Amino acid sequence: MAAPTPGGPLTTHVLNTADGVPGAHIDLSVHRLDPKLVLWNLITLGSTDEHGRCSGLITKEAFTAGMYKIRFETGQYWENLGQTSFYPYVEIVFTITDLDQTFHLPLLLSRYAYTTYRGR
Amino acid sequence: MSTRLQHIKDHIWAANQCAEMSISTPSPLTTHVLNTGHGTPAASMGLSLHFLDPTSMTWNLLTTGTTNNDGRCPCLITREAFIPGAYKMRFETGQYWEALGETCFYPYVEIVFTITDASQKFHVPLLLSRFSYSTYRGS
Repeated sequence: MAAPTPGGPLTTHVLNTADGVPGAHIDLSVHRLDPKLVLWNLITLGSTDEHGRCSGLITKEAFTAGMYKIRFETGQYWENLGQTSFYPYVEIVFTITDLDQTFHLPLLLSRYAYTTYRGR
Repeated sequence: MSTRLQHIKDHIWAANQCAEMSISTPSPLTTHVLNTGHGTPAASMGLSLHFLDPTSMTWNLLTTGTTNNDGRCPCLITREAFIPGAYKMRFETGQYWEALGETCFYPYVEIVFTITDASQKFHVPLLLSRFSYSTYRGS
């Protein structure tokens, strides 16, 4: 059984790859798809800290198997820096089946590109 | 015909006539899907292009298509239908990997982008593996 991680079973980290700095103070939200109603339920609202991280995205108890979405308000982030961006927001939709694992979903972001991957 | 009605007519035309669109009028919006897990183009992936109606704030489906053997889908939109606004490309990544007998962390990928200068060309590629993806604005 995996040891409990400090950040919970789901964590993220936003990096501003254009400026080489953490993506700080980016609003984000976590949603779970209700499979019967086929609607997204809002689970958590948060904001990245100065390190680009946001703790407490979801508790282990609430983290059930299913389809999830993290939405990052990237357009607002670039606007706060006085710049435009190609992407008004970024949504990453993913499927969780094995609840014994931990999931680290970083977002490497510039004004005209982004990358994400499944980490642990 | 009002400009707005003409745009709607062009959108419907694009959705219906994708396969017949002439290659002499290339789409101002292109994509390219690459399977970075296998080092190949991502062929036969379903995808769709949507436009955000600014008055109703709902997504309108413009075009559906499938990537060819080169991972491309040439006829996404006509120059006439390509107006400024918010667009969304949706890639059916889960179905793609399922057809290869594998699972994928991402059931689908949606890339939402804003077009302000519709006279430019925009290339929205997707570099995809089972556990990662990247996109960027090309031209």
